[in-house]
Amino acid sequence: MERHWAYAWVTLAVALLTYIFKDLGLSFDPANIALIYLLPVLLSAVYWGKGVSYYAAGLGVLAFDFFFVPPFLSFSVSDLRYLVSFIVYFTVAALTASLAARLKRELQYSKLKEAQTASLYAISKQLSAFTDIQALLHNVTAQVSDTFQTEAAIYLTANKEEDEVRVAAASSAASNWGSGEAELVIANWVYRQGRMAGRGTTMLGETTGLYIPLRTEEHIHGVLGVNLGTAVLTADQLRFLEALGGLAASAIVRVKLSEEAKLAHLTAESERIRTAILDSVSHELRTPLAALIGSAGALIEGDSLFSAEDRMSLLTTMQEGALRMNRLVSNLLGIVQLESGMLKLRSKWCDIEDMIGVVLKQVEASISHRRVRVELSTDIPLIQGDEVLLEQVLTNVMSNAIKYSPDYSAITIRAQVEGRSLILMVSDQGLGIAANDRERIFDKFYRSARTGHLTGTGLGLAICKGIIDLHGGIIEVMPNEEGQGTIIAITLPIQQEQVVKSHQEGMEQE
Amino acid sequence: MTASDKGARILVIDDEPQIRKLLKVTLTAHHFDIEEASTGEEGITQASMHPPDLILLDLGLPDVQGLEVMRRIREWTSLPIIVLTAKDREADKIIALDSGADDYVTKPFGMGELIARIRVSLRHVAKTVSEPVLRFGLLSIDLAHRLVELNGERVKLTPTEYDLLKILASNAGKVITQRQLLQQVWGGHTTETEAHYLRVYIGHLRKKLEEDSTRPRFIVTEPGIGYRFQMQD
Repeated sequence: MERHWAYAWVTLAVALLTYIFKDLGLSFDPANIALIYLLPVLLSAVYWGKGVSYYAAGLGVLAFDFFFVPPFLSFSVSDLRYLVSFIVYFTVAALTASLAARLKRELQYSKLKEAQTASLYAISKQLSAFTDIQALLHNVTAQVSDTFQTEAAIYLTANKEEDEVRVAAASSAASNWGSGEAELVIANWVYRQGRMAGRGTTMLGETTGLYIPLRTEEHIHGVLGVNLGTAVLTADQLRFLEALGGLAASAIVRVKLSEEAKLAHLTAESERIRTAILDSVSHELRTPLAALIGSAGALIEGDSLFSAEDRMSLLTTMQEGALRMNRLVSNLLGIVQLESGMLKLRSKWCDIEDMIGVVLKQVEASISHRRVRVELSTDIPLIQGDEVLLEQVLTNVMSNAIKYSPDYSAITIRAQVEGRSLILMVSDQGLGIAANDRERIFDKFYRSARTGHLTGTGLGLAICKGIIDLHGGIIEVMPNEEGQGTIIAITLPIQQEQVVKSHQEGMEQE
Repeated sequence: MTASDKGARILVIDDEPQIRKLLKVTLTAHHFDIEEASTGEEGITQASMHPPDLILLDLGLPDVQGLEVMRRIREWTSLPIIVLTAKDREADKIIALDSGADDYVTKPFGMGELIARIRVSLRHVAKTVSEPVLRFGLLSIDLAHRLVELNGERVKLTPTEYDLLKILASNAGKVITQRQLLQQVWGGHTTETEAHYLRVYIGHLRKKLEEDSTRPRFIVTEPGIGYRFQMQD
């Protein structure tokens, strides 16, 4: 369509020039007029290319001959020197036309190159931001799909050991192009051979898809497939696609490497934790075992040597050792359950007051002369939670308060409502926890340096945190402002559908 | 020790020889006659051939599930069964109690606790004539007149509170699960809301009966299981 307009414009221009010089009587030397007829040739070469400019040259010669070369209004030429002029005119026209056309082509080409480079640059910048391989792959397929207006898919192996590639990402969820049997076969061939195949190539050139390997220097990471249908890519488009493939390949390598690094870090971390577990557990298990085995052995072997008092003291040692092992085993089982996700909440309505009663009974024996005070505000509602686990948390916290505080000191359990939360606080006047330990104290196997000679596994608070987290609550440590010591504060959510305890008061008459 | 305990025959069904030995030695020292079974099948056979006065049943048996053993024994007898369980098996305890166990003891257990449970269970079997007035230290419950007195003073209870107290007190020393309480007080099917009310009513009862409701003397909570009315010594 544009072509036709170009020819029409050229015809019009030649006619106009002829009209101006002939009819308006602007008399020029015929040689100058021939030069002026070069004008439409040049212009059309720049704007419309070779074909149109040759047409302009031919039309110009005809008009020149017909109107300006004697005999006028005839194509015959009386003076043979004009034939030389025609030849020169043609040569000049052809040369300028091809030069101008080439210039234009090069300009277009460099513009296209620049656009491609810019878009590749933008894509590469975008790809370098991804840390997740799936997101990266989706972005690449989306880019390809946008550029070529068709479906695209990326094939990768499921893991390092596999040598079969499968669809890892596709540009559109709606179409399942790329996951068909035939497409997978070609993709796998490309992956193994490292050569492109499919539409427009020498290998299976008649299929609809084009498959290029995603390659970095060392090896091939996967395959990029594009559904071209019946179209064939130009050399430029192909180069662009290959460049995109290269970018995608190096981005995939980068993400994979960073994932591997993360994994390596995790492995190192779990190695460290395992060592800590082993150290702590073996010490914590061996000590009470030594006491048990030693005492039992002494009693069996030298029964007659001991007074009744000695015997009782050995037996007490055995009991203490066994109880200590029992605590350790419970804590270890607790942490294993938490970490493996086996611990399921059995949520029911819990009465905090009731729970505190149970906890006080649990720690009764170890309280000795500590003054335990319970301060409950009257508006405390029932909360939804796992009674047994919450009680375990509170028992752990209470046991810590007792363990790390001197005899005759005060321990306060306080419960109050703040907004839609229930806050439970246990404050003691014990060792206290250093500011820089307040976060780490909830890490498993972490024990503050201050605990010194007091034995423990560093599991109790980690279990507490795990359980409170499961309840959607918060457990935190703060210094006790009334002198020294620690406050452990537990915040638990109060459920909206709460039937408030006080509603029930007096609802039933005797 | 009351006369009813003396020479009571106890069948221990547990696969762990160490536990059986421990139970045999200590319970024999407390004048009980002990019989042992190391598997569920053996236990069922022994229980049917020589019915004991009480069964101690480990829930973690290797052959037949402890719960299954209990169901099969319960098919023909109501003799008291106390189950032994691991600490973190709350669900098993509740199922065991709701399907007929009289009480439970958590491993590792103190011998004093176990013997107390055994005595309570034996006593509830022996008590054939129901007494019109239950007395627990300073608390007395007159079942005939629905009157409750503490320290000689009348305590006003709502009908629901009274029903709860009556069930707990007439099973004094024994654990009663939440479900058992809900069924006996509210009857039939129970809902989440009623479980909520149960907490509330127990709270009210404690306020009326206990000096310090965070340190209850009468109604003790068994976390995750239910309540136990404490015997007063």
